[in-house]
Amino acid sequence: MERDQPAGLAELAAAVTRSQVPGLEDLYFERRAESLWRLAAGHVVAREASLHEGTAVRRDGQLLSGDGLDRPVLANLLGIASRTLPSFSAPRFPESPSLEHALGEPPAGWTSVRWRWSWAAVLTGRKAVTVTRPQLAEVTLADGQRALFCWPPEASTSPESPVAQTATAVRPGKVRVLLAPTATTVLLHELVGHPLEGDLLVRGASPWSRRIGERIMRLPLWVTDDPTRTDLPGAFSADDEGTTAAPRPLLAEGVLAGALADRRTAESLGIEPGNARRAGVHSPPRPRISNLVATARGTLPEPPRTDAAIEVLALSSGTLEPASGVVMLRVRTAFSLRRGTRRHVLAPFTLVGTVDAVTGGLLAAAEPSDRGAEPGWCAKDGEVVPTGGFAPWLLLEGLEVR
Amino acid sequence: MRASGDLLMAALHSASEELSGKGVRFEVFARLGESTRLSRGASGILERCSSREFGVGCRVSGRDGAGFGAASGSGARAGREAARIALGTMLPAPDPLPPRSVLGATGTSLPHDVPESERIEEVLGDVAARVSGGRHGVMLVQARVLAGTSAAALATGEGFHAGAKAGGTVMELLVAPPEGPWRHFHFAAPAVSDLDPVTIAERVQETALLATRGSQPVRQLADVLLAPAVAAPIVEALVRYLTAASDKNREVRVSGAWHLTDDRLGPEGLLPLPWDGEGLPARRIDLIRSGEVGERLATWELAERFGGRPGGAVRPSYRHPPAAGPANLVVHPDPSTTQSKLLGRMANGFYLAVPAGAVRVDATEGRFGVQAAAVALQDGKPAATHPLVELRGSFRRLLAGLLAVGADSESFSLGCAVTTPSLLFRRLEIV
Repeated sequence: MERDQPAGLAELAAAVTRSQVPGLEDLYFERRAESLWRLAAGHVVAREASLHEGTAVRRDGQLLSGDGLDRPVLANLLGIASRTLPSFSAPRFPESPSLEHALGEPPAGWTSVRWRWSWAAVLTGRKAVTVTRPQLAEVTLADGQRALFCWPPEASTSPESPVAQTATAVRPGKVRVLLAPTATTVLLHELVGHPLEGDLLVRGASPWSRRIGERIMRLPLWVTDDPTRTDLPGAFSADDEGTTAAPRPLLAEGVLAGALADRRTAESLGIEPGNARRAGVHSPPRPRISNLVATARGTLPEPPRTDAAIEVLALSSGTLEPASGVVMLRVRTAFSLRRGTRRHVLAPFTLVGTVDAVTGGLLAAAEPSDRGAEPGWCAKDGEVVPTGGFAPWLLLEGLEVR
Repeated sequence: MRASGDLLMAALHSASEELSGKGVRFEVFARLGESTRLSRGASGILERCSSREFGVGCRVSGRDGAGFGAASGSGARAGREAARIALGTMLPAPDPLPPRSVLGATGTSLPHDVPESERIEEVLGDVAARVSGGRHGVMLVQARVLAGTSAAALATGEGFHAGAKAGGTVMELLVAPPEGPWRHFHFAAPAVSDLDPVTIAERVQETALLATRGSQPVRQLADVLLAPAVAAPIVEALVRYLTAASDKNREVRVSGAWHLTDDRLGPEGLLPLPWDGEGLPARRIDLIRSGEVGERLATWELAERFGGRPGGAVRPSYRHPPAAGPANLVVHPDPSTTQSKLLGRMANGFYLAVPAGAVRVDATEGRFGVQAAAVALQDGKPAATHPLVELRGSFRRLLAGLLAVGADSESFSLGCAVTTPSLLFRRLEIV
């Protein structure tokens, strides 16, 4: 039975509670619809669509999951008879939107656009919580680079195109760089976002383990994980354990102020949960970043191009190696600067520095702040969730070009 | 729950029923995967997951063009949904479906049992104890095992029907040496029972301690010897590049030391299957041999459009239509070339022992990069260690620059199965 709205979830939660399944922690339901338009020279040449639904149960310390969202699947996962469960329904899969209506003519450099809609519900005890998330638009470029936005995609928000073959190779060595908002978001995502995920803190796999409350930079920077920013791809109304979404301060005026936690790590860290995310129905919830929002006090009115040698517009990826504290940023689109003017397009290169060098090397923040098409899909242990970001420009020294 | 055969048949039947009489040619693919995943830290089990994934993908083709739809769920309903969606996605396009006359199955698909969680836990515990035990100071941060089986079935509107089964196990270890970066190790085998805790622990301890300290090397072109773990993802990236490359970019100088096949028939490699992603009989495809780039992996549609032979389709899941790509890559070893012989051929250069992160590919420029722990060699002897170097190069240079292959083949489960020995290359960029 399908309806436009979910039905019977509260009754189902009550029935599951009554059935007294040993060690039951929670139930998770998910529906996801996707459409993919393959493009060539600005025209749609093929279309694919898919519908997915699944159920997951956490009991006796295990995650048990199965495709399908109905009583027999759930009963099997719970280890009880199907007849003991009342009927319930998830909302109907929506029709796929029209790309032509949403976008008009796609830019010639795009090779595909993907639309994603998802709905989820978490049943804990007698409570049923519905999780709503924004519809997503993923754009793929000719070189395979992907960018993520909330639906609909806008041609004007196109990610930076691949660099031309005539790009200049950058000279290795220490350099002062100016990071555009998209690049800033990726840097802070790696520097502050991931390492403050509770499971990494508990495991000692973060340079910030046991350092909450410490000042890590002079720049008065605030970083918040904000799933309530529904204009960004990582938004949700409740996390994947059913906790209502709320902004979580991670950095306040350069001081480590908090961490991201699911229920399990919240207990270990003595903080509130609310940041549990699942990559899908077959993945357990883990503390993950959603939307990283950065602000600074005393931002410059415009990017200080005269103070930097390189302007970085976009990164292809960033990593932080927890043991050595080495930060690596792979630069995709950048320009050399001379007297505040862009001179050459630079070939892709890598910026490397230690955590201390990067945090100590943050010199200034500048407007205009903006949303970025990256980090987009964020992978952790092979599990991928959508993330977003909003940040100012940053002037940074202490990194080395390789 | 219903047996896998019943589920697959129900899905094929319901989708076929939905599509029959609609004036379209069609192909229905259904897959059931069952897996168990365990992870443990230094102090015990962290996570246990068991999943059962089932879904159906339909390709349709007719006067209105072609389309693809997929749905997961419970048996017959998933089949009906996938068929309905596929019909709704049709756009003007050439017919991608191969004719009935070319479909078939060869080789055998091996039956696999879903491994018991207790057995996986036992192996994981044994490996954890051995890795962290002893005086070497290596600590286990996390160990994970993913073991699973899958059953797939394919049917077409013209009466073709085939089934296949597969299985595999992957173990991943994250370890912390006494100093330097943490190291990530990957082991793959057909079944849990094929993983040997003693061998794994010895390998991990030995390699994790290989390059724990040292400085960054000077940027240079150097001969490099890649251990199988470093070579495997590069080989996969090379084949994906060659599959998509223009004819011009495939016409390059190729070292005679290369012999690389997509050994879909088996028995070599990790994942032989009886048919390709769209139901053509599995065969051995020579990708690089005798100093030339060989056959291009192609689906039926690509082969029809651009020439070449079909049979190179893969289908990573029911969610995707078949696409050209590698399935079971094998770099053929040279049994006479031991590790010491390989090192002997490289007087000066770098031995890359264990990768750190994924291979990055710039498809438009035909370049790749990967980080790894390395040992610098001078006059055939270890001269310095480097916890993290970056190896960069072009696929062109990879094709031309292979000097020798070793005898120490290992298998890896990456985007496809890859089996490769150590590979020695001339003059790649080390940063």
